[in-house]
Formats: sequence, structure tokens, C-alpha cells
Amino acid sequence: MLQGGMRNNAPIIVLSQNTQREHGPRVQLANINAAKTVADVIRTSLGPRAMLKMLMDPMGGIVMTNDGNAILREITVKHPAAKSIIEIARTQDEETGDGTTSVIVLAGEVMVSAQPFLEQKVHPTVIIQAFRLALDDMIKWAEDKFSKPIDVKNEEELAIAVKSCLATKMMSEHMDLAVKISLDAVRAISVEKAGYHEIDIKRYCRIEKIPGGEIADSSVVKGVVLNKDVVHPKMKRRIEKPRIVLLDCSLEYRKGESQTALEMMQEHDFSKVLEQEEIEIRKQIDDIIAVKPDLIITEKGISDMAQHFLVRAGITALRRLKKTDNNRLARVSGATICHDTKDLTEADVGTNADLYEVVKVGDEYFTYITSEKSTAATVVLRGPSKDIINEVERNLQDAVNCVRNVLLNPKVVPGGGAIEMALSAALTEKSKTIDGVRQYPYAAIAGALEVIPRTLIQNCGGNVLKELTALRAKHADGENWSWGINGVTGKLVDMNDLGIWDPLSVRLQVLKTAIETSVMLLRIDDIVSGTKKMSDVNSK
Amino acid sequence: MASEGLLALLGQRTTGQSIRTQNVNAAAAIANVVKTSLGPVGLDKMLVDDIGDVTVTNDGATILKLLEVEHPAGKILVELAQLQDEEVGDGTTSVVILAAELLKAADELVKQKLHPTIVINGYRLACKEAVRYMQDNLAFTINDVDRNSIIRAAETSMSSKLIGSESEFFAEMCVDAAELVKVTESSGKTTYPIQAVNILKAHGRSTHESTLIRGYALNCTRAAEGMPRKIVGAKIAVLDMNLQKAKMHLGISIKVSDPEKLEAIRREEVDIIKRQIEKILATGANVILTTHGIDDLCLKMFVEAGAMAVRRCKKVDLKRIARATGATLTASLAGIDGEEAFEASLLGYAEEVVQERISDEELILIKGPKAKSAASIILRGPNDTMLDEMERSMHDALCVVKRVLESKKLVVGGGAVESAVHLYLENFAASLASREQLAVAEFANALLIIPKVLATNAAQDATQLVAKLRAFHHKSQTDKEHANYKYAGLDLIKGEVTDNKEAGVFEPLMSKVKSLKFATEAAITILRIDDLIKLDKIEQPPSEHDQCH
Repeated sequence: MLQGGMRNNAPIIVLSQNTQREHGPRVQLANINAAKTVADVIRTSLGPRAMLKMLMDPMGGIVMTNDGNAILREITVKHPAAKSIIEIARTQDEETGDGTTSVIVLAGEVMVSAQPFLEQKVHPTVIIQAFRLALDDMIKWAEDKFSKPIDVKNEEELAIAVKSCLATKMMSEHMDLAVKISLDAVRAISVEKAGYHEIDIKRYCRIEKIPGGEIADSSVVKGVVLNKDVVHPKMKRRIEKPRIVLLDCSLEYRKGESQTALEMMQEHDFSKVLEQEEIEIRKQIDDIIAVKPDLIITEKGISDMAQHFLVRAGITALRRLKKTDNNRLARVSGATICHDTKDLTEADVGTNADLYEVVKVGDEYFTYITSEKSTAATVVLRGPSKDIINEVERNLQDAVNCVRNVLLNPKVVPGGGAIEMALSAALTEKSKTIDGVRQYPYAAIAGALEVIPRTLIQNCGGNVLKELTALRAKHADGENWSWGINGVTGKLVDMNDLGIWDPLSVRLQVLKTAIETSVMLLRIDDIVSGTKKMSDVNSK
Repeated sequence: MASEGLLALLGQRTTGQSIRTQNVNAAAAIANVVKTSLGPVGLDKMLVDDIGDVTVTNDGATILKLLEVEHPAGKILVELAQLQDEEVGDGTTSVVILAAELLKAADELVKQKLHPTIVINGYRLACKEAVRYMQDNLAFTINDVDRNSIIRAAETSMSSKLIGSESEFFAEMCVDAAELVKVTESSGKTTYPIQAVNILKAHGRSTHESTLIRGYALNCTRAAEGMPRKIVGAKIAVLDMNLQKAKMHLGISIKVSDPEKLEAIRREEVDIIKRQIEKILATGANVILTTHGIDDLCLKMFVEAGAMAVRRCKKVDLKRIARATGATLTASLAGIDGEEAFEASLLGYAEEVVQERISDEELILIKGPKAKSAASIILRGPNDTMLDEMERSMHDALCVVKRVLESKKLVVGGGAVESAVHLYLENFAASLASREQLAVAEFANALLIIPKVLATNAAQDATQLVAKLRAFHHKSQTDKEHANYKYAGLDLIKGEVTDNKEAGVFEPLMSKVKSLKFATEAAITILRIDDLIKLDKIEQPPSEHDQCH
């Protein structure tokens, strides 16, 4: 409640009674604390010795993960600043698919590094300017000095980047397999046409989870895997070089869109109506048979009668596909999705697929439609339980995104906190040349960056003080920029030897997002809660 | 005071001095809320609504819009900020602060038994004089090619915002965007309809990677994957109609007696739409945009024709696209004579239409539209809260650019104008031999609130800085040699008085004039009030008991 003044013992109420307002330094400190608290939650899931978190939602469902975004997504927070921090994990995930834990940990640390300056009454805008300056410098250095280009044609070099991404994940035990899967999958869906390099993971790389078996049984299928069986038991379960027709209409009798009423006066009219319906289906099937397909697949239903006709014609049919699967199938088979059987022509039939096969895995039937030349891929994941497969899926998603990032921007930076340390050393050096109060917050960013190697050492139980000082000394002359922390042993190591290289785009995004969010939060000096909804205001 | 029984209605009545003080206090409270967000070192507010959604902003109008202000005088100030936002687009914070200060000064005068109407007259007079002085003496004109000054003006507007430290980058973008949407009317007048600049937000990357696109960006994707990603030499059909199976309107039902006719109806439904699409495609259209849906069954026709079709576009977007490409937004194919037709003249043209991936989303970009250039800005940033604030800041800056480009008149910011006008009015007051003199003098003093708040926000010694500033302006107005001192303003980072014309702190003249006028009007409106009657809410329909009373 905001009180404008007192008169006759009655406060003048200016703002609505349920509005709460906090302002001044308290707000800034509260924001810093919120950021720090969020960072603390997931601090232990950074690095190769990361631990998983088990989260239970109110419904009793379980999520087991060490993916920063997946953890924070499940957590409900009240503080508005904490919400902003959580949101950046999502941004990081959408943009690069990896580095979600790092971004939160770093953002938390950057906020904390601003605290002493706020307490010393340095104006936030000064701190912000310094942070901005540091960010610009870091981006420049990371791109020019502390990164190396890799040859995207070279499988081994690519594999290094994927490995370092997976090293922190549960899949690290099946490293070679995971690397192979992600590389194969991305290679398959990578399309280059007319100068446009397309790697559309969301649309063309699907992950099909089949509980049972072990993780080692997972594989990449060049083509599409569907959790479907043929509609009629008499249909074929294996066809080589199938001619495929894709439909997105139902093979059932449909009513028109307009409201129609049929009045029947005579008895034989009724049978005529039924007959009419049958003729309609017959016509549809005849249209299909005319293009001589082996396999028809539709997004909608297939009526019993249509099935009967199809079996008699020796055509295999699958029904009720997802639109996205159908799109993928179109890419595998080269067929055009048809909406009306009347429009079917020879050109619409897909002939690119090599093999169609229905396989029984575990309890369920799965349809494989594969082709060597396919530009859509499916990753089939196996694993002992659903929760584990879910985590493996998240890991692979990160890995696949990692491959995409490297292919699109073929530069890597040393992992294991090496890049952060290198930048930190460079910042410390540069800070001496900056005039004015700005140099202190600028140098503070250097300190904040050390949180990554520090957390890595902490998480594997190393001697933080000893190793971190040693690392700092290593980086002091600017030569050993590839030295970082071996996250398993907690000892110093040259990343050239250990082979941990992250895609540049991921690390850059971590820096950008973490610092820009901190900048936004540091500018806030007033929190008013209980305000009107933005949507209400705009709708007025 | 409350006067129960005397009024026929149940309620509270406040009159005279007490209501005036109450109003002034309320106004001061509102001004206090936004005060700290003024100036290049102003900070932001975080506003949290009932369900926990967060807005972070520095824009006075947005802050006040989101606050639930209950006090009636407070509401007037909120509306004042809104008005400034609509009319000028920038300067919303300063207008509120100024109005509150004017009220405070007026309250003091009234307490000294000066009649409010005298104060009002004085304020009106002072405002008129101030505006005249600003226009004649303080404003300077820039010529067309002085792009630098325009950028500077945009930077000044942005300097107080979240993107302040990158103001240079964004200011360039704003000026480019404004120039892209320039329209020269047949009368030779050029206008800059900046609302035509399409601002899109996509989270991810860094703010520095925001881009200006010379064309129109549409936040939609192609209807089917089989369609081409890129069409060079696009012929664009802009439709506002359903490309779905024809359907009778609700309530109309068709009665047939022959079952075969039923099938014919079904066929016809499909055929109607197919004929329409054929007509559209026959004109050579290869990009089809519609506000409504497109049936899946029609998609194949587009795919086969190698055309790109986009469904469920926003109507606002399509209107602008139509304007930019020279297309006509077509709501129906039906001609006057009942025949359906689609003519090539309805098509718009663009060099290229392409679908591109930005962040996790895909956008359709219409590049090089033929009739008129278009501009879209894609903002990037770490999260939605920040992007929203960036959008507001960009909007403010675009408004400033528009004002500058249209009027070509600038004044110097950083408290320079206020101080100059303050001194001028003080002298002017001395020349008045009536009671208005007092009001004009107070008006002059109230203006100093802007440099004062600026200095306070920067944690500088406000008293000393403002005194220095006044000294400079005094010299400029008395001494011909130092006339250039009239551009003296505050440098808030260093905490000293500098020539802000050289430093490039510019604001459009119109923004200053309007904010002064609006603030004066709002103060006068509140000042005129001498009676507040607040009726109690009627809780229930009056029962018999109530009627006896």
C-alpha cells in the first residue's frame, strides 16, 4: 500500500490496497539472491561428475535428469527475478540445445559479482556498462583467439565435440554409440540446396522410444519408424522397394460440410443410400488401385470395408499417422501427400524407399520404412525403463543439437572451464587499461567466469583452492589457453590431450545470455506486485 | 469533511484545502513511483501481476498503466502519461514528474490565499511564454542530410533504457527503419508511419544480433513442407478468405430426395474451392497469403504449382504487406456480375519471398517489395521480459525519429531546455505587475525539477549542479558573447555541466512542447477541483428499513 500522506488519521490511498511495493537496494539484493538460489539448485549437475536430480511433480510423475533446462522447467518459483533466470535456460535450450546448466550457474555468479559494487554505492548503470564492455570483448576474443576451426568432413573431429557434450550426461557410459547415433542422424537429415544449409532436427529427426532391451541396442534408422501395425492381419509385413502412396484423407464414407438432410419416402431408398455409401468407398479404392501401390498410409481412418477391398487388391495399409510422420515419410519415399484419391497420379507415388517391414519389438509392432538415400532419420532408443529412456532422449537431443551447431558454425573452444579461464585471464589483463570506476566491475566478470572451473573441481571433489590457483597461473601468460580442468579427476589438463572441445556457438550463447540477463536484473530498483495483467491492459 | 445526513446520498465529501492537498499528495506519490526511471542513469521497475507474470520496464506510461491507481487525481496523471505516449511516444516519465511538481507549487500558492483561478491563469500564461521561447530561441533546425543528429536524438531517447549501452547500434537501426517506411504523399509532404515497422521478437542470441530486415517478416510458416522455401520474383496474392471446403452457413440445410445427389453435393463442396484456387494460380501467383485457413486438400494444388501458401496470417500484417507489395487484400473472388474472378492486377510483387530459420522459429521474409519499401526489426535477447522492454524502447526511439524527421526541429536535452526556460520565465515574471507574477515564478521554479531529478538519479549533488547550470544559462541570456551557453546541460556520468549540443543530446522540439503543455493542462485540471464526493457502494437493493430513513 502506498500512502501519500496523512490527514485526519485517514491515509490517502493512491494505489490499490493489494499492491505491494519494494524499492531501493533491498530489491537489488533480493534479485541477486534469487539468481544465486536458482544457480545453487543445479550447480551439482555441471560437468562429467554431475549428479542427476529426481523431480516429482504434483501428480506423482518422476523426472530424472541433469539437464539444467529440464530441472528448472519442473520447479515452481515465486520470485520474479528467479523466473527470469529460469527462462534463460529455456532460451539456451532452444537456441543451442546445450549448456543450459552453465548459463544458469554463470548468470548466478555474475549477479553475485555485482553485489559488492552495489554495496559500495556504485551506480548500477556503471556496472552494466562494464559488463557490456566485457561481453563484447569476450565475444571478440573467443572468436579470434581462443577457438579453433574444425573440418566438418572429418568424422573424428566432429566426434570430439559431441563427446565433450555427452561427457556430462548419463549417456557417457555409451559414448561411442551415442556419438555414432548423433553424427549419423544429423548427417542423414542435413540437406544442402540452393546455397541453403538446412538441418531441421525438429521436423526430420525423430526419436522413437521403445522400452525394453538395453541402451546399447539403440540405433539410427535412415527412414521412419512408426509405432503401428497393418490394419488387417492378412496384409503383408515386408515389401522390398515398395510403391508408397501417402494420403491425408480417410478411406471412409464422409458426409459433406454443409448440413444436408435426406428424406426417404420408400423402403428401397434406404438400401439405395447404403449402396451409395459402398460405391463411394469402392470408387476411392479403385482410384488407389489404379496407381498400383504396394503400401498406402493415411493420416485418417480406414473403414472395414475399405480394408477388405485393399486386402483383395493385395495392398498393405497403415492408418492414423501423425502429420509430422507423414511429412517425414514423404521425404523418405519421395511421395506427395494426397488429400483426395481422385487426384492420385503416377507422380504422387513414392518409389524411393528400399524396404518396408513390420517388426515385433517387445510387445508391440513397429513399422520400419527405410531408404539409404533418406533425408529423414529416426533414432530408436532402447532402455530398461521409461524414465531412463527419457533421460537418454534428452542427452541425445543435446548431442544432436551439438552436431548441428558445429556443422553450421565449425569452430570449437576448449571445454572443461578452459575457455572461461582463458577469457578470465584476458579480462583481468585488459581491465588495467580501462579508465574510471568501470574497471572494477569489468574485472569482476573475470572472477565470475571462474565459477565454471571451480564448480567442475567441486563436483568431482577436487582441491578447489590448489587447482584453481594453478590453473590461473597457467593462463596468466595467455599461452596455455587450452588448459582446463579434467572434470573426472579434478586435475589440470590440456584440452588438446583430453579432447574436450565444445562448439563455439554454445559457449558464446552462454556468455551472452548470462550477462544480458544480469544486466536486465541489475537495472531494476523497484518491484511492484499485484499490478494489472498486461493482457488486460492491452485489451482495453 | 464527511457530512452525514446533510446529503441525500450516502457518501463522503471532501472540500476546500484538504482535497487540494490530498490531490497534490496523490500526484506526488505517483510521480515518486516513476521518478527513479528518468534519465540516462534511471533504473527499471519490475512489475509483477496477480498470476506472477513479470514486466520489466523503464517507460513511465507502461509503469503507470500497470499500476492499479485508485485515487482519482492519481488517475488523471496516469492518463496524462498515456496521452503523451500516444501523441509523442516519448517523454512519458518527465511529463508526470513535471505535472506533479507544478501541482505542488500551486498548492503552496493556494495555501498563501492566492485564488486557484489566479494560479491557473498564471500557469497558462507561463506555459504559453515558455513554448514561445523554446520555439524561438532554443530550438534549432537540422537539414535533411544530417543523419548524425537524427541518430543522436534516437540515442538520447534510448539512453535511459535497458538497451542504453547499445544505443548507437539500435539508433542506427531505428533511423534506417524509419527511412525505409517513408511515404511521400501526393501533396509533397513526407510522413514516416513508424507503426509500419514490424517489430518481431525471438529469444536467443544476444541483443547485438538483432537485425533490421529490408522487407516484411511474417511470423508464420508455409502450410506444407512440399512447398518451395524460396521464391524469387514473387507474385503475391493477399487474401482475406477461407480456402476451405465450401460450407453452407449455419441453419441452412439442404433437402434432397435422391441419395446420389448427396454425393454430388459433397463433390461440389470440394470443387468450388478447387475452382477458386485454380483461378488464383492462373494469374501466375506463386505466393498466397491468407488470413483464414487452407484446407489440406488444397495444399496439394499449391505444391504442384510450385507456389508457397501461408495460412492464418494476421490481418494487420497482410494489410501492410498488401500496401508494400502493391497487392489488394481480397476478401472474395465474386465480381459484380456474380462471376468469380481473380485478376492479375490484384497481385503484389516482391523480389524474393523466403522462409528462414531464426532461433527455434521459422519466419517468412518478404524481401524487396515492389510498391513501397518495408522494414522489419527482429529483436533478439535472453528472455521474453527483456524482449518486451526492448520493443517498448524501440517504439519510443522510432517515435522520436519520426518526430525529428517530420519537423526537423530539435532542442538540447539533459535539463538544458528546462533551465533556460526557467530563467527566462523568472525574468518574465518580474515584468508582470499582477498577482499572476507569483504563479509564473512558481511555474519557472517547478521546471527545475527535471535537472534536479536527473542529477539525483545519477547520485550527484543536485543542488550544486543545478546552481551551476543556472549560472551558465543566466550568462547566456544576459551576455551576448556567451549566447552559446544556452545549450548547457548536464553530463550525468561525469557529473558536470557541458555543452550538450556538442555532446549530441537531442530531443525533438515537439516532445518538449507537448510535454510542457500536457503537464500544465493536467495540473490545471487537478487544481480546479475543490470538492470530492465519493459515493458509497450500494451493497444491496434498499430494504424497507432503509426507506424509512
